[in-house]
Amino acid sequence: MSKLSFRARALDAAKPLPIYRNGDIPDLNDCVSINRAVPQMPTGMEKEEESEHHLQRAICAQQVFREKRDSMVIPVPEVEGSITYYDRLYKGDFRQTKQLIHIQPFGLDNEQPDYDMDSEDEMLLNRLNRKMELKPLQFEVMVDRLEKASGNQLVTLQEAKLLLNEDDYLLKSVYDYWVRKRKNCRGPSLTPQVKQEKRDGSTNNDAYVAFRRRTEKMQTRKNRKNDEASYEKMLKLRREFSRTVTILEMIKKREKSKRELLHLTLEVVEKRYQMGDFSGEVLKEVSAPLAEKAVFPAPVCLPNGNRHKMESKIKTHKQQPSHPTRHLSAHSEPRFDFTRPHRKYGRRPRLDAAPRPPGRPPQRPHAIADGDIKQYDFHSSGEEDSPLSPSSEPDEENDPDGAFIFRRRDGCHYLAPLGEQRWCSPPGLAWLADPGQRNSLTALSVPRRWVGVSHRRLGRGGRIVLDRTSSDLDRALRLLDPDVFCPSTASVTHHHMHTDTHVNAATHTPPAARTNPQCSLAQLLSNIQACRVRYFRPRPLHENGKEGSKKDALQHDDRKGRGTFAVANNSRTSLSGGITEEQFQSHQQQLEQMKQQQIAQSIHQQGVQPQGLQLPQTMQHIPALPERSHSHVTTMVSTDSVSKTLDSASAHFAASAVVSAPNQESKPHRAGINGILPCQGPRQTKFGRPAAGASSTSSVRPSGGPPRPAPGVPQSLPHGLGPLSSVSAVSPAHAHHSARPCAPSPPALKLASVASSPDHVPRVAPGTAISSLARDKHEPERLALNGMAETTVAMEVT
Amino acid sequence: LTSVVELVEGCRLPVLRKNQENEDEWPLAEILSVKEVPGKKLYYVHYIDFNKRLDEWVTPDRLDMKKLQFPKKEAKTPTKNGLPGSRPSSPDRDVVRDHTGSLLPTTFCAYLSTAQCPRSTNLHPTLTLKIVRCQMNGTTRRLVPSQPGRKRKNCGTDEDSQDSLDGIPSAPRMTGSLVSDRSHDDIVTRMKNIDCIELGRHRLKPWYFSPYPQELTTLPILYLCEFCLKYLKSLKCLQRHLTKCNLRHPPGNEIYRKGTISFFEIDGRKNKTYSQNLCLLAKCFLDHKTLYYDTDPFLFYVMTEYDSKGFHIVGYFSKEKESTEDYNVACILTLPPYQRRGYGKLLIEFSYELSKVEGKTGTPEKPLSDLGLLSYRSYWSQTILEILMDLKSDNGERPQITINEISEITSVKKEDVISTLQYLNLINYYKGQYILTLSEDIVDGHERAMQKRHLRIDPKCLHFTPKDWSKRGKW
Repeated sequence: MSKLSFRARALDAAKPLPIYRNGDIPDLNDCVSINRAVPQMPTGMEKEEESEHHLQRAICAQQVFREKRDSMVIPVPEVEGSITYYDRLYKGDFRQTKQLIHIQPFGLDNEQPDYDMDSEDEMLLNRLNRKMELKPLQFEVMVDRLEKASGNQLVTLQEAKLLLNEDDYLLKSVYDYWVRKRKNCRGPSLTPQVKQEKRDGSTNNDAYVAFRRRTEKMQTRKNRKNDEASYEKMLKLRREFSRTVTILEMIKKREKSKRELLHLTLEVVEKRYQMGDFSGEVLKEVSAPLAEKAVFPAPVCLPNGNRHKMESKIKTHKQQPSHPTRHLSAHSEPRFDFTRPHRKYGRRPRLDAAPRPPGRPPQRPHAIADGDIKQYDFHSSGEEDSPLSPSSEPDEENDPDGAFIFRRRDGCHYLAPLGEQRWCSPPGLAWLADPGQRNSLTALSVPRRWVGVSHRRLGRGGRIVLDRTSSDLDRALRLLDPDVFCPSTASVTHHHMHTDTHVNAATHTPPAARTNPQCSLAQLLSNIQACRVRYFRPRPLHENGKEGSKKDALQHDDRKGRGTFAVANNSRTSLSGGITEEQFQSHQQQLEQMKQQQIAQSIHQQGVQPQGLQLPQTMQHIPALPERSHSHVTTMVSTDSVSKTLDSASAHFAASAVVSAPNQESKPHRAGINGILPCQGPRQTKFGRPAAGASSTSSVRPSGGPPRPAPGVPQSLPHGLGPLSSVSAVSPAHAHHSARPCAPSPPALKLASVASSPDHVPRVAPGTAISSLARDKHEPERLALNGMAETTVAMEVT
Repeated sequence: LTSVVELVEGCRLPVLRKNQENEDEWPLAEILSVKEVPGKKLYYVHYIDFNKRLDEWVTPDRLDMKKLQFPKKEAKTPTKNGLPGSRPSSPDRDVVRDHTGSLLPTTFCAYLSTAQCPRSTNLHPTLTLKIVRCQMNGTTRRLVPSQPGRKRKNCGTDEDSQDSLDGIPSAPRMTGSLVSDRSHDDIVTRMKNIDCIELGRHRLKPWYFSPYPQELTTLPILYLCEFCLKYLKSLKCLQRHLTKCNLRHPPGNEIYRKGTISFFEIDGRKNKTYSQNLCLLAKCFLDHKTLYYDTDPFLFYVMTEYDSKGFHIVGYFSKEKESTEDYNVACILTLPPYQRRGYGKLLIEFSYELSKVEGKTGTPEKPLSDLGLLSYRSYWSQTILEILMDLKSDNGERPQITINEISEITSVKKEDVISTLQYLNLINYYKGQYILTLSEDIVDGHERAMQKRHLRIDPKCLHFTPKDWSKRGKW
C-alpha cells in the first residue's frame, strides 16, 4: 500500500525509539509493510520442533488472545497424585533457620555406606538375627565394603575377612549371600551407578554413559579455531624442549664424568709413576677390592622419582608419536584402602609400557584391562586438589605418578628401580670386567631348561631379572638336558658363564656345537671349564689387604670359583621333580649344618648388629611400616649374597614362595659342581646400595665401605606367608626367576635381611612393586647416551 | 485379517489418544519400537507433529490398521558419513541382486494381508515386494545403534566443531549443555526409558530418555530421595537411605530467600554427586540436554519451596561458570508438578537478576524447547512492556528509549529484545525512523497478565557475589 521508494535503515540499537500509545498512534497504514526491514530473529528453537502442532497452536492463541488459554497449552504427560505415605517416609520436621543456609564445603561427606538394604536383604537379616545381632547399618557397611573392594572380580573370602573385621560365621553368611546376590544382579554393582566411560573410547557413543571427563582444552574463543591447534603445538614444543633439556643435562653429566675420569686416570698414572709401578702390580693389588666396591651411578633421588618420570615420558613419545599423551594404564592401587573418601589416584594415568607382569596372581582384581587405554588429558578439572609435592618438572602435573604405578604415600620418597642402573665399571679399570655386565650361561629349575646366555640383575624390590642375550649356544642349549649339570642335588643350578671379552672366542669356537649340538655336550662342558680357567684372572695374594676386605676378597673369589646359585621354585609341578625321600633327608641335614656354620660365621665375622625384619603377616600392612624398612619384604630375597640360609630341595616342599639362597661359603657338595660362577656376591651388595648420596663421583668411587655380607638374623616367618607368595608367585612358563624365601616348613622358615644398612633399601611398597618393574625395559635413549651398547633383551619381569 | 499384519518399525498409522479436552483423537503416529509382553504386543509410537514427550507405548487396539502406511523409501534419519550401507538411490534395482529372501516371509505377508496399502494398487506384485524389502533394509539399518567411532555430528555451529582434521572421531563440543542436532536420536535415546519416578510427594512421568543406570530402567517406579536426589530401586531402599541421609535442602549455599522460595547455589565440581543426580532427573524432562560430559563447569541454581519437611525442589537452572557466548542459563526446568504456576518465569527472572549483579547481559543457551520458548517470550514481553509502559514523558515530549537501554536495564541480550519487540509487533517504521507502538490490546493483555503474576524475585533478598571464574585456574 505504501509505496516506499527508499530502503528502510537498519535498526540501530543505540538510537532512541519514540513510543506511541493508543490514541496517538500514527497512521498505521504507513507502517505495515516496513516491518520486514528488521530482519526476523530466529526463535532459537530447532526447526523441526518449531513447527510442532501444539506449539503453533499455543503461539497463535497467544497472538490472538494476548494471554494463555488453558485449552491451548502444550500438553505434557500427566503427573500422578500425591504420595500418601510421604509423611511416614520423610520423618521429622525441619526447622528453617533465620539465616540463609550456608554449607560447609566438605562437610557433606558423611561416612555412611552407599549401599541401601532392600527387602531381600531384610529377610537375610531376619534369619541371621535369630542367631546373632546384625543391625541394618552394619550389614550395609559390610556390603558396601565388599562392593567397593570388588572390581570386575569379586573379593575373595580371604580378602573379605581382612576387609570386614567380623565374626567368622557372620562374615561367611554375609559373604556368601553377597556373592550370590551379586551374581544374580543385572547391573555391574549392587549399588546402581551411572555407567562410566572407558578410556579406550569404546563408550563414546554409549547413551548410558554420562558425565565423561572433559579433556581439558584451552578455552578458545568461539571463532578462533586455530587457537586450539596452536595451543597443542605449543604443548608439543614444550615437551620437546624439556626433552632436549633432559638430554643435554645427561650429556653434561656424562662429560663431567669423563673429565673426572681423565683427571683421576692422570692422577693414577702420576702416582704410579712416582711409585715406580711400571709393571702394574700395585695397581692390580689396589684395584682388586676396588672392583668389588665400585658403585654404579647413583640413581638420582628426586622426590617421587621425577627423573624417571621424565624418561618414561620420552619413552612414550617414542612409542606413540601420534598420540604422545596416550598411556597404557594399569590400576594397581592397593585394594583395601577405605580410609580415603575419594579415590584420588584412581584415574591417574598409570605408566606401564611393558606387557603385563605375568607373575601376577590371577585373582588380583586390578589386573590391567587390555582395553583400558586412557586418553590422557593435560589437566583435569578435578585434580586441582591432588596432593602433589611441589613440582620441579613442568610435566609433573601430567604424570604425577611418575614411574611408579602404585599409589604412593605422602612423605615417602621412592627410589627408581635398581635394575636399570647399569653398573659402570671404572672405565680405566675396564679390564676388570665388572661382574654386573657379564652375561652368563643360565639354567632354570622350573621348567627345567637352559635359558641361554643371560645377564642377571636386580630388579626393584629384589626380584632377580634375567636379561637374555642371543648367542651361538642357544640352539645347542635348547636340546641340552639341564640335569647334566646337577646330578646330585635336586636343585638346578645356575651356571654362569662369562661370555664377554676373552670368552667370546671360546664360546664361539665349537662349530660342532652349532651343527650337532647333541654330541657336543662333553665338549661344551669342557669348553665351559676352559673358559673359566682362561677367564679368571689369578688373584694376586696380598698381605696388605685392608683388614676384613681381605677376607671378603677371598670369599668373593671363592664364590667365583665354586659358588652356585641355587634356585628353587615353588611351582607345584616341581614336586614331581624326582626328589627322593632320601635326597630330601640328606639335604635337610646339610641345611642344618650349613645354617649352624653360617650363624657361627656371621657372629664371628660381623660386628654389625643386624636388624631383622619381621615379615608382616599381611601384605596390606607393609606400606604402613616405617618408610625406611618396609620394603624389605621383597628385598631380602635378593640378598642371596647375604642370606645364609641355604636350601634347595626343601624348597620344593614349601608351600609357597621360592628362595634362592646360595651358600657363599665353600660347601663340599657345592664345590663338587664345577659350575661357573655367578659372582652375585659383590654385585648384590652393590645393588643393595642406593647410592643416593654419592652421585657426583659415584661412577668411580664407592660410596660405602667394603661390601660386607650382613648376616641376617633368622626370623621366623609368621604363618601368613600366603599373601606374600601370592603377590610374587613365579610363573614358570615365562621363565622368570623370582628368588624367594622358602623353607621346609613355615615354623622353620628363616629369613635373613640386609641388616647393616637399612638405607640400602629401595623404598617400594612390595605389593605393587611387581608391576612397577615392568617399565625397566625401554631405555634406549639413556643407554645410548651412556654409550653402553647393549644387545641385551630384557626379559619379562616378575 | 489385521492380526496377520506385521507391524514393523517405521510404519505409520493413526493412533487413538485423548486430547486435553479428553476427546478422542486419531493423530498419525509412527511406530518406533515393538515389544512383546506376555499375552500381547506393545508398540512405541511417536505422534507426528507432536513433541516427543507424548510418545508412548500403546496396545494394538489403539491402532487404526485400516490406514496403515509402510515406511517410505527415504527414512527420516538419513545415514550419515557414508556408512557402508548408505541407502542406494535406486533401491529397486539394488534389491533384485540380493534377493535372498531371508526377510521375505513376514514382509511379504504384511504386504499381502494389507490390501488397503495405498501404494499396492497399481504396482506389479514383484515390484512391490522389492520395495517392501528395500524399506525393510532402510528400517533395520536405521535401528542399528550408532557404532562406536561413528562421527557424532557436533552441535552448534561449524566453527565450534571439535572435529580434527585427521579424521579421528571426535567427541561433542565441551562447552554448553545442549545438543541441537539429532545425532543423539538413535533408537535408544529416542525412547523414554524410565516409566515413573517418585520424588517426594509426587510421581512423575518422564518425558525423555535419561541415562540412569540401565538396570534401573526396567523398574516400574524409580525412587528418588527428595533432597539428595539419589536414585533407588525400591521403596525399601529409599526408606533405608532416608535413615542415613540427613539433607533437608539442596547441598549448597542459600543465596536467596523470600517467603517460602529459596535459591541454592551448587558448584558442579564441588558437589558432583548432587549435580549429577540433578542432571539425571532434569534429563527426563529436557530433550536437548546432554549429559555427555561432567558437571564441573556449571553452577546449579536450585529453586525450592519450604515447608515443615524441608526445602523441596521446584525447579532449577544451570549456568556455565564461564560462557563464551553470553549464556546466562544452560538448562532450565520447572519440575512437572510445579509447572504452569509461574515458577518458570520466576526462575528466568532470577537468572536475569544474577546477570544484573554480574553487570552483563545474557541469553539462554540454544536450542530452546517449545515450553522454553513460550516461557522466555512471555518473560521478555512482560519485562519489556513493563519498562515501556512505565516510561513517563517529561516536559511533554514523547517518551523514547533505545534498545541498548532496554537491554541494560533488563540484562536481556539485545537480540532477544529485538526479537521480542518484533514478536509483539511493536516496531514500526514511520516517517523515516523506527518507532515503538503500544496498541490497546497489547496494553490490556499485558495488564491482565501482570495481575496474574504474583511470584516475583525481590532483588533485595538476593545475596550473591559473582566469582570471576576466569581468574581461577580451573572451574
